[in-house]
Amino acid sequence: MGVATERLSARKEKRGRVGTAWGSLRQEFNDPEKRTAYWMILPTVLIVLLIAAWPILYAFYLSFQRILPNVTEWVWFNNYAVMFSDGVFYRALFNTGVFTIVSVFFEFTLGLAIAMALNKRFRGQGTARAIAIIPWAFPTVVSGAMWRLFYQDEVGIFASLASGLGYDGVILANDFSVLIGAIVSDVWKTTPFVALLLLAGLQTIPGDVYEAARVDGATKWQQFVRITLPLLKPAILVALLFRTLDAWRVYDLFWSMSDRQLDSLSTYVFEFVRVSQADFSIGNAAAVFVFVSSIAIAFVFVKVLGARQGEA
Amino acid sequence: MGQSRGARRRGIDRRDFLKLSGAGLLSASVLSSCSRVTSGFTGAETVPEGTLIFSMGPDSSGVYAKVIDKFNKENSDGISVQYREMPTDSGQYFDKLRTDFQAGGGSIDIIGGDVIWPSQFGPNEWTLDLSDRFTEEMREDFLEPTITANTFDGAIYGVPWFTDVGMLFYRKDLLEEAGLDEPPKTWDELIEMAREVQEKTDTRYGFVFQGAEYEGGVVNGLEFVYNAGAEVFLPDDPTNVVLDEGGAAAEGLAVQRRLVEEGIAPEAVATYKELESQTAFIQGDAVFMRNWPFVYGTILGGEEAGSAIKPEQVAVAPLPTLEEGAESVSGQGGWNFFINATSEMPDECFKFIEFMIQPEIQKEFAIGASLLPPRASLYEDEKLLKEQPVVELAKDIVTLAKPRPQHPFYSDMSLIMADQFNEVVKGNAEPADAISTLQSELERLTNLGTEVYDL
Amino acid sequence: MHDDNKQSLVGRVGFYLGIVLFLIFTLFPLYWVFRMSAVASDELFKSPSLGTMFTVPFDLTGKCDLFGLKFTCPISYETVLADELYKDGLLNSLIIASITTIVCLAVGSVAAYALARIDFVAQKPVLSTVLAISFFPAVAIISPLFIQFQSFGILNTYWAAIIPDIMFALPLTIYLLVAYFRQLPPDLEEAAKVDGASVWQAFFRVTVPLSAPGVVTTGILTFIFAWNEFLFANTFLLEPKVQPATVIIPQFASIYTTDYGAQAAAALLMTVPLVILVLLFQRRIVSGLTAGAVK
Repeated sequence: MGVATERLSARKEKRGRVGTAWGSLRQEFNDPEKRTAYWMILPTVLIVLLIAAWPILYAFYLSFQRILPNVTEWVWFNNYAVMFSDGVFYRALFNTGVFTIVSVFFEFTLGLAIAMALNKRFRGQGTARAIAIIPWAFPTVVSGAMWRLFYQDEVGIFASLASGLGYDGVILANDFSVLIGAIVSDVWKTTPFVALLLLAGLQTIPGDVYEAARVDGATKWQQFVRITLPLLKPAILVALLFRTLDAWRVYDLFWSMSDRQLDSLSTYVFEFVRVSQADFSIGNAAAVFVFVSSIAIAFVFVKVLGARQGEA
Repeated sequence: MGQSRGARRRGIDRRDFLKLSGAGLLSASVLSSCSRVTSGFTGAETVPEGTLIFSMGPDSSGVYAKVIDKFNKENSDGISVQYREMPTDSGQYFDKLRTDFQAGGGSIDIIGGDVIWPSQFGPNEWTLDLSDRFTEEMREDFLEPTITANTFDGAIYGVPWFTDVGMLFYRKDLLEEAGLDEPPKTWDELIEMAREVQEKTDTRYGFVFQGAEYEGGVVNGLEFVYNAGAEVFLPDDPTNVVLDEGGAAAEGLAVQRRLVEEGIAPEAVATYKELESQTAFIQGDAVFMRNWPFVYGTILGGEEAGSAIKPEQVAVAPLPTLEEGAESVSGQGGWNFFINATSEMPDECFKFIEFMIQPEIQKEFAIGASLLPPRASLYEDEKLLKEQPVVELAKDIVTLAKPRPQHPFYSDMSLIMADQFNEVVKGNAEPADAISTLQSELERLTNLGTEVYDL
Repeated sequence: MHDDNKQSLVGRVGFYLGIVLFLIFTLFPLYWVFRMSAVASDELFKSPSLGTMFTVPFDLTGKCDLFGLKFTCPISYETVLADELYKDGLLNSLIIASITTIVCLAVGSVAAYALARIDFVAQKPVLSTVLAISFFPAVAIISPLFIQFQSFGILNTYWAAIIPDIMFALPLTIYLLVAYFRQLPPDLEEAAKVDGASVWQAFFRVTVPLSAPGVVTTGILTFIFAWNEFLFANTFLLEPKVQPATVIIPQFASIYTTDYGAQAAAALLMTVPLVILVLLFQRRIVSGLTAGAVK
């Protein structure tokens, strides 16, 4: 009696669940309010499908083909093979990777320090915050062009500073120094923004928690490690996720600051997709690579580290 | 409640301000350029009946407009030509043309095009083969290199408009001061002389050239390679890359790096394009410079043009070679006329081209815009030589011009060459390694080209 | 107690020093770019010393012409303001950014309302997807979009930049508006619904009039995003007549190569309106940007 009835009731339950699911969907569309909701999101969904979903699928499709003036043939993973044997690809990958890791590291640590400082009440706090948001308003290309002027051999203030400190090279003539220059420029532009993001997170931590800890005899450092960091973790992860993906996609900055001399993954894609004629197909493979690697990074942050987007 | 109402009031105030100023600005600027804005949305180009579109980069001298006006007046009963401005950057201009061609042709009839485009246009059948129209008789008066550059696989795709050639500028006065009277003929000589003059006259740089990673860097790098006696392709055979044969190419490139290593050229030369090297030279900071003839025009312009040196202090010579007694070769520039294969009035297009290549018109371009004429006879024209010193200057060197590798995939080749040449200048790659990388990459491209275009 | 005071004095000095250093680091590049744009070129080539760095010997040899107003100004500004390419670029930027903002606000506010107010099955997935778009690497789709735009004939027109800009600005627009709508008290809408209004009516008659501050903030942030956009404009707009200022400015490195003053002036002129806008609305902008990042 036991097993048979169990199986029967299980099946009934499943049918019931499916039935409820279908039923609830029907309920969805019967409810005029919910119907309106679907209409309201329709334009957005259409735009996303047409301009993001469809093109990326098309990009995958293109990446498996070799496309030349008189030839279009299916070559499976051949484009990827060629890309992974291209020295310039690895240079772009290296530049992008170093840029991402170093700039995010500095933006995060400096940003956190500044956020903690701005969290205290002091005279001019509002002004400080206002000033902090200015670099964010700059178009990245303009910021890049501006910093390029600063690194110029003859007139650049930072070039003079560097040579004053004993550096005898030409900043813009050396790949590595240009990369460092780009990192400095990005840190200038984005640290304040990261600081503001973290500041918002800090402001949700009630002051009493710190009071209680202080009364218990905790040092500032202990307070930081045991209270601030854990409570700030969601905001930190979100900020890190956004900054890491932004840095991974760097394009504008490298283009304008290095006058196209420094390659990033994104400029690599552009070069092969728009300038090259023979290797257009490799550009498509690179485009897919950028997409997949971005998804991978987001995945690591969301699933592994537990980043959660802000939702009330 | 009160606070939110107050906030709202503030918001509306600001909103009104924004709305007013935004609307004001927008309408003011839009009203001042209505048709251009509309065409920016529709992409439509209104072209009156019987008009040909001629595309070219910016007309900074104003001579294009003058000449086209002349043509339209002379042909008032026939077709008229309209000039359409294209991006300053040659690569961007090429991108626009290529996009149009791939989409079915575009609306441009006569294209003012770079000297590296014929081999990319022709095989794709984007522009017309002009061998029949541009007859052998007509070609006779033209400098040979200008015709070679427009020829690919036996067909002539372009008609030369103006030419350009790389040359060695040097400070006559500084050489005299150091006790030297002849310009160097080999690179070894140049390095020695530059060092001597640098020391004796306390000049900052010995030699400046264009070493940045761009098309101009390719021209410079190729000049080093060609002047070592090496070739990229065998003549008339774009299917066979011979760059690494004999090791001459690597030796030539090695000179480029040597110049920087031995302090003759500044390290910053890896970022120099034409204007940076020009600035260094006309500020009096360089003994030798490799550049195009236009620099002489700047020097003639005197202080107003930014030149701290006078024309009397400057002279030119052919580029040095690696081996003694070898023939000097200069990188070739210049622009030409092409006819869009989809143009509906090709004969009229060619009429316009015939007008533009008349000796009198070429003289106008030379005098008004410092553009070197491609007609050999004009270099014997006393009057022109007097009126345009730049032509006089370039007289003996224009015949030494050599085109860059001519191949349908030149764009890709250029990217790779620019990259490798720049790596050598920066010291990141050994010349021999750069050449072998180039050899294999260029081979890959030529094989592809042979396959796709049936060369 | 005594120790605490001493510590807090040192701590306070250090704290203020840190803040000041931060502000200097943030503002110095702006000051320097301004200085570069306002002085004569020989001044630019002089080695900066601590003494001269903070003086600005204005060059007043130029004559500027702005919308018909003529006045003396540094030579670099005369060069830049006389440059048709630059002015056209600014106009194009304005057109592209304005239209993108308007469409985003229209489409985004409606979607945000549904996502914020109405409980429906697709709510969470759609919200997550839209926010996930902000992680999307735009460069991955320039090839397919180029092919599509070309076949539709909109390549090299404003639409080729506006359409992708809308796509990538929508997450920001929706995110901000959802946060804004969520903190609007629902009582008025409830009241309207009780009176028999449909969702659309409640939205247009009740919510929209109350949304001014949120819409203004969102509009500004969307406008700034579209104004600063470079990748799509650079890829799909091939002629100067449609290229916005972000595409024109990097070209100046090749056009005005050694005229560093002109390049500085160009950079500054393009950013000053943005900076003013941002300063005017900074509190709203900051709270908008950080809304929701809190949880």
